[in-house]
Amino acid sequence: MSTSTPPVIVLGGGIAGLLAAHELGRNGVAAEVYEAGPRIAGMAASHTDADGFSYDVGAHFVTNRFMAALGMRANCRVLPRYGEVVHLSAKKHPVYPIGLLGVPRFVRSAVWEKVRRPKRDLSVAADRFRHDYGRKLADEVALPLLEAWSGLPADQLSASVIDKIPTGLAQTIWLRMAQRMTKRAVMIGYCKEEPSATGVFHVYPDGGIAAICQHVADGLAQPVQVGQPAEKIYTDGERVVGVRIAGRDIETNTVISTLPINRLTQLIEGSDRLDRFRRFQFRGLVLVNLKLTGRELLPDVIVWTPHGFPYFRVTEAPMAMPWIAPVDKTMILCEFGAQPGDEVWAMTDEEAVERCVSTLDPLIPDVRSRLLGASVLRQPLGYPVFALDYEPDRAALAAEGTGIAGLHSVGRNGEFDHILMEDTFWRLRRRIPAIARDHHRCSVVASSIEGVHNEHSTA
Amino acid sequence: MAADERESVTLENVACCICGGVDGTPVGVGEDFEYHTTSHSFLAVRCPRCELIYLDPRPTPASLPVIYPDEYHAFAFDEEQFGLVHKVRSRLEARRLLRAGRGLPADAHVLDVGCGDGFHLDLLRQHGPKGWQLHGVDTDARAVAAARGRGLDVEEQPVETSALAPGSIDFALCIQTIEHVGDPVAILRAIGKLLKPGGRLYLITDNTGSPDFKITKGRHWGGYHFPRHWNLFNKASMRKLAEAADLEVAKLSTTTSPVNWTYSVRNTLVDWNAPSWMVNRFSLKAAPALAAFTAFDTAFTVIGRGALLRVILRRPQ
Repeated sequence: MSTSTPPVIVLGGGIAGLLAAHELGRNGVAAEVYEAGPRIAGMAASHTDADGFSYDVGAHFVTNRFMAALGMRANCRVLPRYGEVVHLSAKKHPVYPIGLLGVPRFVRSAVWEKVRRPKRDLSVAADRFRHDYGRKLADEVALPLLEAWSGLPADQLSASVIDKIPTGLAQTIWLRMAQRMTKRAVMIGYCKEEPSATGVFHVYPDGGIAAICQHVADGLAQPVQVGQPAEKIYTDGERVVGVRIAGRDIETNTVISTLPINRLTQLIEGSDRLDRFRRFQFRGLVLVNLKLTGRELLPDVIVWTPHGFPYFRVTEAPMAMPWIAPVDKTMILCEFGAQPGDEVWAMTDEEAVERCVSTLDPLIPDVRSRLLGASVLRQPLGYPVFALDYEPDRAALAAEGTGIAGLHSVGRNGEFDHILMEDTFWRLRRRIPAIARDHHRCSVVASSIEGVHNEHSTA
Repeated sequence: MAADERESVTLENVACCICGGVDGTPVGVGEDFEYHTTSHSFLAVRCPRCELIYLDPRPTPASLPVIYPDEYHAFAFDEEQFGLVHKVRSRLEARRLLRAGRGLPADAHVLDVGCGDGFHLDLLRQHGPKGWQLHGVDTDARAVAAARGRGLDVEEQPVETSALAPGSIDFALCIQTIEHVGDPVAILRAIGKLLKPGGRLYLITDNTGSPDFKITKGRHWGGYHFPRHWNLFNKASMRKLAEAADLEVAKLSTTTSPVNWTYSVRNTLVDWNAPSWMVNRFSLKAAPALAAFTAFDTAFTVIGRGALLRVILRRPQ
């Protein structure tokens, strides 16, 4: 009788894949992690340049709670502050979200909307925003931002895109007070899976976000195999039976994929269940990072720019993490919504930098004279687009998974959801025990069938 | 000190000690607010089935000498240092112990598991029947040395490997010990084996069903005692623990203690960088705070939600 249990195959050596393998290990299941690229970490990579500026790919929000769960908190520094404002005019930067209540026209229209409008179908993002926040705030702030990072008009987006602010007003005020009192960047609404609390705050690991991936990878029973792209996932009777990785077929009954869901669909052999996810679109980002002299150039760490700027968000990360840039220098990140092939995506690096420098004046008047250098990154997987067009399929993926037994699509790109690293972690912690049990059950059944075959052949 | 000790505490992931699950959900996160033995933070999680609160990850056994420093209060709770508080606590605890031990034979064998410096055994020796045979076990050499210094009969080892004869103990104590150990089920099973059939175990531990826990569980609850309390119970998880260890629950109630309340306040103040004169109002040496919280917690004990669980378990006949 066969005693070897086939391993669970994890596709992708980014944070989601590594955490999946970590949780599988805790559940007593061996996992093999295959990464197509030359190194682990994927979208969670970090590096420090020759001038002493440190970068991650994109923005990540990491809490002391998440780091404690991984046993990494001792290697982290606490962020002394974090805040967001909305740029309405050169002088007006209401703090998000409470400060927006200080703008009379927003309050008036929000109240009016509540009084006037009867409940109706709110499945479209534009309607839902106007209903929830009032027409003025929606049209002047929320919808332009949503459209910029989604790349679609708000009347073509699903309202489910906004089910993502888990903290209420009173709690937000309380958490802000705690932030002031403790001088720590208390997390407000950056985790969907677990609640905000005064004792949960933003931290940042030494070595950047990549250090988290390295720490998790170091704890795995088997090293991650890099340069091993997944080519096929074999199914039989709507159940995973194997994978083909870098030209090699491997038998398995369980695959955990962190690939973008629309890419995963292209690997499936023997089933068309995932075909409906093929049309899912990710919105790309062009990220322009300006290295400047000076510090605290912005009114707060993040400035949302719904109007008058070609980018939708400007971030000065060294305000929250002073140690990621040399003293008296800073980094300003401008984020453009873009799509591979469109005009913004096609800009040269010089054009992109010039477009930022020439438009940042209202926020940083002397930006040109401060400029030390810049880098440009094009990220095709910025945001999953919650298009109305495929909303039923998106909801089905969220509720039921892939529809193929033993095939689990996880992580931000795999689940096609607006989740951050910590959400991915807690979701995996909840999901993996059932996946491990299923894997075990199938393996036992398979080996006992094999055992029967063996007995017959011996007889 | 924290910087030097940074590397010396290593962590390991663990499962729920009752059901073996590894899907605990986060409840609180905090640091060693009291002794600052490590710069790690610790996560308290709740088992979704058992309601057990446990640290995951937690320090490895090799880290124990670091997280229990020499000045740790269980090794150094003496009359000289703690004066009035020591007197009051001694009197209260002696009364509680003797009440729990009522009806025992005159020559009963009593075992204190995790006896520390022998504080409770000493109380029994002073206030209990003279015929009782008193034994103790503890794994910490410093605690055992202190207890032996008092002239007590104490073994330096875990109760699982005690040299005492199986079925020889009438009455076992496990006072604020179970929360410190890695495998409470194994400890209770071992105690069960040492007990005579029908013999009783008197167990005291922090109560996660208390209002103090409810209010401060996110970070500052005194009962976390980060990172030294590894498993914490309420009435429901205590019943499950007893069941897993094949012991009967004879009595399950709560009792009053000001300690967790005091430390919840103190930890909050320490964490929020309050001035030291304010922090020092809340400690084991601060009689006014202890008195006030004793009165306060007594009210919660009346409605069954005192700071400590008070449990009497019995080895089935």
